[in-house]
Amino acid sequence: MSVAGRALLVVALLVYPFLDRALGLQTVHAVSDGMIYVLLALGLNIVVGYAGLLDLGYAAFFAIGAYAMGLLNSPVLGSPLYGHVWSFWLCIWIAAAVSALLGAVIGAPTLRVRGDYLAIITLGFGEIIPVAIRNLGDVTIDIGGWRPVERLNLTGGENGVNPVGRPYLPGVPFETDPVPWYFLILIIGALSLWAMSRLHDSRLGRAWKAIREDETAADCTGVNPISTKLLAFALGASFSGFAGSVYAAKLQAITPGAFEFQVSIMLLCMVVLGGAGSLRGVVLGAMLITVFDRVVLSQTTFMVRALGRALGLPALVAADLTLWRWFFFGLGLVLVMLLRPQGLAGRRAASPLVADDVEPVGTPEVASSPRLETIPPWLRERLTTAVAGQGDPVILEVRGLTKHFGGVVALNQVDLVVPRGAIIGLIGPNGAGKTTFFNAVTGLVRPDDGSITFAGASVVGLRPNAIVARGIARTFQSIRLFPDMTVLENVLVGEHCRLDAGVAGAVLRPPSVRTEEARARERARALLAFVGLADKDDATARNLAYGDQRRLEIARALATEPRLLLLDEPTAGMNPRETETLTGLIGLLRRELALSVLLIEHDMEVVMGVSDRITVLDYGTRIAEGAPAEIQRHPRVIEAYLGTGYEQELTAPSGP
Amino acid sequence: MLDLADVHTYYGNIRALRGLSLSVQPGEIVTLIGANGAGKTTTLRTILGMVRPRRGTVIFNGHGLHTLTTDRIVRLGIGQSPEGRRIFPRMSVLENLELGAFARPDRDGIAGDLERVFTLFPRLRERAAQKGGTLSGGEQQMLAIGRALMARPTLLLLDEPSMGLSPILVEAIFRIVQDINRQGTTILLVEQNARMALRVAHRGYVIQTGRIVLHDTAAALLRSDLVRKTYLGEK
Repeated sequence: MSVAGRALLVVALLVYPFLDRALGLQTVHAVSDGMIYVLLALGLNIVVGYAGLLDLGYAAFFAIGAYAMGLLNSPVLGSPLYGHVWSFWLCIWIAAAVSALLGAVIGAPTLRVRGDYLAIITLGFGEIIPVAIRNLGDVTIDIGGWRPVERLNLTGGENGVNPVGRPYLPGVPFETDPVPWYFLILIIGALSLWAMSRLHDSRLGRAWKAIREDETAADCTGVNPISTKLLAFALGASFSGFAGSVYAAKLQAITPGAFEFQVSIMLLCMVVLGGAGSLRGVVLGAMLITVFDRVVLSQTTFMVRALGRALGLPALVAADLTLWRWFFFGLGLVLVMLLRPQGLAGRRAASPLVADDVEPVGTPEVASSPRLETIPPWLRERLTTAVAGQGDPVILEVRGLTKHFGGVVALNQVDLVVPRGAIIGLIGPNGAGKTTFFNAVTGLVRPDDGSITFAGASVVGLRPNAIVARGIARTFQSIRLFPDMTVLENVLVGEHCRLDAGVAGAVLRPPSVRTEEARARERARALLAFVGLADKDDATARNLAYGDQRRLEIARALATEPRLLLLDEPTAGMNPRETETLTGLIGLLRRELALSVLLIEHDMEVVMGVSDRITVLDYGTRIAEGAPAEIQRHPRVIEAYLGTGYEQELTAPSGP
Repeated sequence: MLDLADVHTYYGNIRALRGLSLSVQPGEIVTLIGANGAGKTTTLRTILGMVRPRRGTVIFNGHGLHTLTTDRIVRLGIGQSPEGRRIFPRMSVLENLELGAFARPDRDGIAGDLERVFTLFPRLRERAAQKGGTLSGGEQQMLAIGRALMARPTLLLLDEPSMGLSPILVEAIFRIVQDINRQGTTILLVEQNARMALRVAHRGYVIQTGRIVLHDTAAALLRSDLVRKTYLGEK
């Protein structure tokens, strides 16, 4: 939006209630209520849009916020906080904190389940809260005639809480005039919007996006999915806490009926209609639905009835379109999904493939080999100083690693040692357990037996993100980037575990966070230049050519500042030129940065060319270990893996 | 048998194919080689009706494929092993293979072909009861090819069959390609491994930025300067 556009919007928002009063429209009340729903939808957007967690019971947090305010700031249950000039201003913060806390408490056990299951659990939670509120109005505990608790009123029960204290500001008529409410909600909404937009563009916002795109890849890039999702739940809940407490105070009374399942669904409609993840879209979606619900439906009913009277049609005179609201919501949602699935203001995922006419028509472009002088100085410094502090000549030592999947033995007593600064090849027939070995070392599968020692300490039982923080990074056999994030963002997610900014830092952006963020971007750009993606910062990852995606995955892994890099078939699907470039890159990393590399690869020219030693797996068992020349002649390796045609390949001018 | 004439395929505003023409005669192995992003997979997707050409025609045995849906095209006798190993992860290996024969009426023939796939890939027989998603990457690749064979297509489209396979299997897969060709299946082979592809193919096309820049017999392409420098990695 342009500056003029923004200014116009601000003026319109400031002038609106006075214009409304001058014209006698009396819509301020409805619009204020609508803005509460906007705030709720924005909170839900953190959970659904940013972190990609489908929450079908968000109204429960709305209820918690409203009841926190209602119970603390009301005479009904004799709250000591009621009746002071500061009551509302204190309780609104308590309500947000209570909501956030309950969001975390409820989220903790549920966030370990994924996708559909999480949605079902939130659905259940959304049902439980209103029922619990209804039934906690009259609690009696009877143990064989002994009644430690008798007719205790915790929530006001079916009758709800009435009255709820209003905010107090000297000279501001909150009792009689809707306009102060309008401005109060406007200020809270604007501050929330500001905070959310800052969260979106922060270390945390990137982590949410990464988890939404590929949770496993995010985990293996150093983002803790559990705590990151929990934070989304807690922050989303805290915004609903604000919304709920304003709602309670504005209405002066709350009843459990206001937080039923339909409210959750309506909020979800707002987010989806406007475009999950887009702040502007969610505001738009929420405004459209509330205005439609509160204004358009009733006004249209009025007109239809007038028309019916004029035409003498009794069916029209008795019509009530507001009874059809769910029909219209449903219809609108179906139409949006069919015509504009990304939502009204959402961004459509860009088309695949590269842009028109950028590729030269002659020989296809292949990135030039990485050069010594393009190694980012910061990376060199970080990696070589880390090495200097460690005397141990072995970086990774795996002993007796065993893993069963049902009846299948994926790994059987596998030993493997990676000396510091070495490149070790891991080869073997398809299904031999090579990727399972990687998954065990990176924490994706927990071994049944055996030890994995990295830099002198065991990593068995650690979460993947914790292992990344220790200094092991990996790439995946089938590339796993964050496809709808930009190239630069992908690398920035790699830096996640080396950055510190938290929620407060993301929102307030103190100088330390600004510096950290600027330095992170600078480092990411240097890494991209190093792997040959210098001019592609802003491209969407999925639009990169295949070889570029492979290189980006390596850049992302390097961004975690690893001391051991696990590469799973890095040259699969590459042509000979691209393969050569990548082989050069691997050699350079080892030579210049003393990086240790464990390499799964089927291209024998690559494996034999760069590896110091090679381990061969077959059916989960190590069948050979030795220098490349020994492995090439090893009869069992030839029989199980290389085949007899391999020697012909070697004598040919170039490998497969 | 298959004839693509002046095909233009777009993704949004991006031209992926720019007037591509190629033909495959019955009984041939034809290979399509080119760099990543040149349009190889898009060509296969266009043949299968998964993207529609904006201009040009795709004729298969007298049928205009560019107007048909993918399931109709497959029923005309075109089989494929899709890019990225799109197997059914929650179904068993056996069920995956049986689904390959979904459109076939001949029960006996299906049993025979299942045996043939298991003979080609003994690993799949060992894992017949396992869920597809629990296979390793290379095993999934075998399964995708096996599933394509189960449809007993008259024209088989193979998208990078050698990707991610061990050297011994890469050799085997190209032998298999020749075997099924001798048994009467015409093959259009897209490969990054240009050397092996050109060794087994009769003819080859070189694709660059969405159009064919060179086509010849496979033997002649193996000798051509452009192919040797760009796709075989020779200096």
